[in-house]
Amino acid sequence: MRTFIPFRGRLHDARTATAVGRWLGAGVLVCFLTGLISHGLQTPPGWLAPHLPARPVWGYRVTQGLHVATGIALVPLLLAKLWTVYPRLYVRPPVRSVRHALERASIAVLVAAALLEVALGLANIAQWYPWPFGFKRVHWALAWVLCGALLLHVAVKAPQIAAHWRRPAPGTDPDAGERRSLLLGVGAAVGAVTLVTAGQSLTPLRATTLLAPRRPDGTAQGLPVNRTAAEAGVAHVSGAAWRLQVTGPRPFHLSLAELRALPRHRARLPIACVEGWSASAWWEGVRLADLLDRAGAPEDAFVRVVSLQKRGGYRVMEMGPHYARDPLTLLALRLNGEVLSPDHGFPARIIAPNRPGVWQTKWVRLIEVLR
Amino acid sequence: MRAARLVLGAAGLLLLAAGVRLLITGSPADAPRQVAVWLAGAVVLHDLALAPLVLAAGLVVRRLPARRAVRGGLIVAGCLTLVALPPLLRPGEPRNATALPLDYGRNLVLLLAATALATAAAAAWRRARRPGPGSPGA
Repeated sequence: MRTFIPFRGRLHDARTATAVGRWLGAGVLVCFLTGLISHGLQTPPGWLAPHLPARPVWGYRVTQGLHVATGIALVPLLLAKLWTVYPRLYVRPPVRSVRHALERASIAVLVAAALLEVALGLANIAQWYPWPFGFKRVHWALAWVLCGALLLHVAVKAPQIAAHWRRPAPGTDPDAGERRSLLLGVGAAVGAVTLVTAGQSLTPLRATTLLAPRRPDGTAQGLPVNRTAAEAGVAHVSGAAWRLQVTGPRPFHLSLAELRALPRHRARLPIACVEGWSASAWWEGVRLADLLDRAGAPEDAFVRVVSLQKRGGYRVMEMGPHYARDPLTLLALRLNGEVLSPDHGFPARIIAPNRPGVWQTKWVRLIEVLR
Repeated sequence: MRAARLVLGAAGLLLLAAGVRLLITGSPADAPRQVAVWLAGAVVLHDLALAPLVLAAGLVVRRLPARRAVRGGLIVAGCLTLVALPPLLRPGEPRNATALPLDYGRNLVLLLAATALATAAAAAWRRARRPGPGSPGA
């Protein structure tokens, strides 16, 4: 290959690109699929909403933890892959044919989408938004662009990938030792960035959580918090004045004392954020199903839960019957043996299995039986 | 093979088109232009700053003794630094006491020191294992 700038270094070759690229491709695919799951659980289209499962209990915790951990592991893989093929940027002549031009354009899309998608994700988990557009929508759209450009790239490069899938026969490749050393370095980097961040969701790695945006054992009642009571404008809820309103065929309302007098249940459930952190806790409260029965709700009814919070996009939450009727879904009053703190949703919050943290509605005031 | 490639390529084009459509519809009118600017910015930053920096480092490293161990150490150190950048560069106070609760600057320094130590150990180990040019049997 002739280039405008001479590249004399080794390992800018198809075998190295294949060896790194397949891990990178696998990682992008994991991120795409876990992202689809997260999107489906968080903003399900109408046809999907009734079928979202409440099991496994740890489903969202694992898929979203994997999404963010894999995204972080893409940093070394993506940069190593781009380093390997970097001389191709200066290929001479820049364009040989229409086909070549199209291929180069598709690679530009692939590289741009990959770099920006990973960067957006990394900044988002640190809750840093230096760009002018909305994170959620653009991260979602770019995921499709990236995955599409990747499939196209694999289709175009399939012969080269197949030819270099296996290690060359021993003795035929002067770069074998050099390549092994480079891959070892990239592998070590993947291990290192994972080791210092994955503890935010993977409890055994808690001790090495040195660069993660969260600790699984945050300060507030042993669990991290995203929206505080002060941020939500509900810092001073009076337990004495608070009433839970439940609408349905037999509407009713309850004071906090009356709610506390109802049969209580305990459940160990994780709270898992879209930003990748998660932690399990003991929750104690009244089963949502019991409240729905009391209101005369049909078994297959959807439920809307409204929070006291004044600000924020997740004030109103809806859940399908699989969640609402699950025996583990609680209107929780206590967390890890203590009354809920204001930041965890005093006086009462929803906790349900296999749901994104933003839908574990805090500061509940109203439960509506829909349909 | 040919059919599989065609199917894969067509699927890729479909997903790509779906992504572009998601980007254009439903977003505020100037969002697609802003995203295009940031996409181009990401490529420029990588191709004209980060990659040349890494290649320049490579030119230096290849002249060093134990260059393979040093390269590995630099890859690890560079990636740890990149992952630490968002918490370090983010302006303003964290949203609450449980967000960004660590001393990221100190932790990064500790990790870079540990990486340097591990690199030195790897280099020493390789040297000990491999007989030098002057030793018998070389």
